[in-house]
Amino acid sequence: MSFFAPFCLPFIIGAVFMFLAVGWKWIRWIYWLPRADKMLILKGIPSTRTLGAIREVVMESLLHRRIFRVNRLLGYMHMSLAFGWFLLIAVGWIETMAYMGIRWIPIQGHVFFKYFSTGLEHKPFFTFVMDLLLLFVLSGVGLAWAKRFMSRKMGMRRTTKHVPGDRIALSALWFIFPARLLAESLTSALHGGGGFLTGTLGDGFGMMFSPLTLYGMEQTAWWFYSSCLGVFFVAMPFSRYMHIFTEIPLIFLRHYRLRSTEKESSLDNFQVEACSRCGICIDPCQLQSVLNINTVQSVYFLRDRRYGMLSRETADNCLMCGRCAERCPVGIDLNTLRISSRDKMRNLPDERRYGYLKGVDRSSGAGKVGYFAGCMTLLTPRILQAMTRIFDAAGEEVWWADRNGGVCCGRPLKLSGETDAARKMMEYNTSLFRTHGITTLVTSCPICLKVFREDYHLEGIEVIHHSEYILRMVKLGRLHLKHGADRFTYHDPCELGRGCGIYDEPREVIEAVGELLEPEQTREHALCCGSSVANTAISDQQQVQLARSVTSELEKTGAEVIVTACPLCKKALGRGTKAPVRDLAEVVAAAVK
Amino acid sequence: MAINFGFAISKPRAIDIDRNNLRKSDEILREMPELQTCIGCGACTASCTAGQFTDFNFRRMHTLVRRGEYQGIYEEMNKCMLCGKCRLVCPRGINTRGVVMLIKRKLGDF
Amino acid sequence: MKRVVVIGGGVAGMQTALRLSEQGVQPVIIEKEAELGGKLRGWHVLFPSFTPADEVLGELKQRVRQAGVEVMLSTEVGEFSSNEVKLTDGRRMACDSVVVSTGFTLFDARIKEEYGYGIYDNVYTTVDIERMFNEGRVAKADGTAPKRIAFLHCVGSRDEKVGQKHCSRVCCITGVKQAMEMKKRFPEADVFNFYMDIRMFGPGYEEMYREAQVRYNIHFVRGRISEAAPTIDGRLQIKAEDTLTGRPLHMSVDMLVLIVGMRANDDNAALAASAGLNLAPSGFLEPKNLFLDNVKSNVEGIFYAGTVSSPKNIGESLNEAVAAADAAAKYVEE
Repeated sequence: MSFFAPFCLPFIIGAVFMFLAVGWKWIRWIYWLPRADKMLILKGIPSTRTLGAIREVVMESLLHRRIFRVNRLLGYMHMSLAFGWFLLIAVGWIETMAYMGIRWIPIQGHVFFKYFSTGLEHKPFFTFVMDLLLLFVLSGVGLAWAKRFMSRKMGMRRTTKHVPGDRIALSALWFIFPARLLAESLTSALHGGGGFLTGTLGDGFGMMFSPLTLYGMEQTAWWFYSSCLGVFFVAMPFSRYMHIFTEIPLIFLRHYRLRSTEKESSLDNFQVEACSRCGICIDPCQLQSVLNINTVQSVYFLRDRRYGMLSRETADNCLMCGRCAERCPVGIDLNTLRISSRDKMRNLPDERRYGYLKGVDRSSGAGKVGYFAGCMTLLTPRILQAMTRIFDAAGEEVWWADRNGGVCCGRPLKLSGETDAARKMMEYNTSLFRTHGITTLVTSCPICLKVFREDYHLEGIEVIHHSEYILRMVKLGRLHLKHGADRFTYHDPCELGRGCGIYDEPREVIEAVGELLEPEQTREHALCCGSSVANTAISDQQQVQLARSVTSELEKTGAEVIVTACPLCKKALGRGTKAPVRDLAEVVAAAVK
Repeated sequence: MAINFGFAISKPRAIDIDRNNLRKSDEILREMPELQTCIGCGACTASCTAGQFTDFNFRRMHTLVRRGEYQGIYEEMNKCMLCGKCRLVCPRGINTRGVVMLIKRKLGDF
Repeated sequence: MKRVVVIGGGVAGMQTALRLSEQGVQPVIIEKEAELGGKLRGWHVLFPSFTPADEVLGELKQRVRQAGVEVMLSTEVGEFSSNEVKLTDGRRMACDSVVVSTGFTLFDARIKEEYGYGIYDNVYTTVDIERMFNEGRVAKADGTAPKRIAFLHCVGSRDEKVGQKHCSRVCCITGVKQAMEMKKRFPEADVFNFYMDIRMFGPGYEEMYREAQVRYNIHFVRGRISEAAPTIDGRLQIKAEDTLTGRPLHMSVDMLVLIVGMRANDDNAALAASAGLNLAPSGFLEPKNLFLDNVKSNVEGIFYAGTVSSPKNIGESLNEAVAAADAAAKYVEE
């Protein structure tokens, strides 16, 4: 058997092209990685991290467990396409081996085996399994069609708008499996050997058409099937389907502890092209659901960045709340990629910047515990007053870093992309903390907390949020709170919850003073207050609109008081409601015995 | 004799609207029309974190830009820490952080 | 005899009722408080003539009594239309027309947290100051006399951050009036008024402003205070920009007085919905038009008097009450 027919050509050309293109991409991306990253890979390969990565590849790239968690129907669709196709290939190879024994067969021999195996004695078991798998994949294709036309029924309010390359690849993909069904059925009609699906359909064709017509149809169908594959393979490296071959290495690189940073790096190529543009990030985006802004979501940001058409508007118009990253089935580090894009657009190293900070020290008091209020807290004096009361009640000696005005933590500037200038402020504050010899740094601002933990080098100084501090004092018996009848609801600040993973401490503290009622979307799914410093594009009125949508959800809990743990959230939410909005510290200070 | 702040912004001379080129000012206002709603209350400058340590005056800088006086403004705007306090106190709801970034972009040509 | 319900028994409501009875129509005032007078109760003296508020209010109440106007105190309106008013206690009253004179609500200064009202001692609102004048005890929290007093204009007015875009009109002159009263009481004290714009629209207002500057040496600083913080010695440190010199200004003061503005009543929306009235974006009730029908609502037989439709001073409210009453009388006659 030669395993060659002229119709195989589109497939062969497409497949060769695809493997060359993908290989070329991979090699360059790896080559461009910084040396330190390459060392991490070399160290990681012979370790157990590789096993972890393999496990994740099976769970995510094949089974799509994370999509299942977001939406079962969508999860089934992705799984049937990915895992089903994988099984078709894998079982197809086994089938070929079962027929032909272990010997080399050109790749098209496996793919078009049904066409070449007509002269052989049939193995009904494989015929049945292959038909079943084909049905499995076809069910996914059917759902994909449905999703395009009726996205709401699939539990997605919106679905991705595509670039032309995607449309070509997508159309080819949609036809691959129906074409395969047709081709195999027609072959079965002529030569027999079909299973419950292809066989039945083939019998039908056999009754309708003469053998001569069937023969012509069969050739056409196989050409069509091969062409669909060929077109798909050629378009693939340039379309969103590149994610199939990008997510796998990304999973390995992540297990080897490679991380994207505020500066663009080669790892970002893997992150950007691993996006399948599934559009799961669109629905959680409040800019979309509340403000009807439809062009800036992560899927579009990654798409535009990938094709070098990223506009400033798209890069800037994002709250960086992290709601999308929380749901991203590929686990792409969306916020960091946004920052590095902004950095590329805006960062201008200038050694002279913030030279005026030299010698500045406005701190007061003395103690091993330092308190950093943050810029925003100076506009919410009730938080400052409450912290003073809490520190007094706990008998803490406190060094006040910025009570009389201090230097910004640098996170807002970093989020805007001026990362080098932000470093200047970070260096200033770091040396201020060092000079005063503190061992614990408490802050009531999650924005500051995030940057202290992520970008500052504060080894030897424990950085904690005031919610953690308060809880610790309660547990140590240094702070005694009385439990009242008040009913509170809690708004998770983005930088505190999704940003720093602090969900339980504020809740425990609230439960120590009253009853806690959870809003509909909470913890990692909590809404953003809308006034995030990461967004410099939306207007004041749009911020208020966002705040109203959040407070209306919080009010639905029936709680009398809205509690949050961030001065900026407090300010923002206060504009959306007439209900009292308090910081955690205020609630605690009022309950101190 | 004007005090020398290192830049020519405090040169004692009339603002000559006839001679000043308002093209960049117009571009800035087209992108951020709300800047025209400034009533010059100075709350931004009063709350300014950078303003505690320098003579940086955001209200004055963006007003000069609106009059077509661009010299030295980019360097002045670079004193801003972008902390966002001004945005919280502005009674007109001006996106002040956006204004800083916009002026820097237009005057720094990037 | 035709009956007109007047909702709200402040100066506008009382004047409306008086004028209606003059016109031979029977008015009924429904007032939710236990006493007539509205916001004028508790006010000390009125600008620009320093006339005691009690004088005006007392006279007005006297006239209402003499005219035998029916007054229902401690009574609240739930829903209404031009020919029926439903009270919150379930009673229903038939009528031929309704005049809405429910007034305004004072801005709650605690919302502007950065000014420290309700947080620090010695931060007051203009309302507190009037009350202190009425009680005859004006002093710092510790009972001593203030040596330096700052007034801040436009708290809760012209401020998008608190959803109040409008100008409350009367606060500029109130701030000037109180500054002068402070200076009269504490001649040694320095008084600073921080303003964004000074709007002196009424008769004698501009003259009063000049008098404050020349005779009372009150300092006017053009700049909005951004925040207040306590000092170690129990005073207040305030920050503003002195916009006329272009430099930041810091000072410590013994008293900070927040000149609070007028905002629309929270229940305006519910009232408007029940009667089909138009609500302006500011939350105040919107007159049919601003010229020939400025006391009429968009609904036949429902009229507005006073600050329910926009911030006004007392003279304007009284005048508008006469106009509204006349319009209502004419309506019920036809």
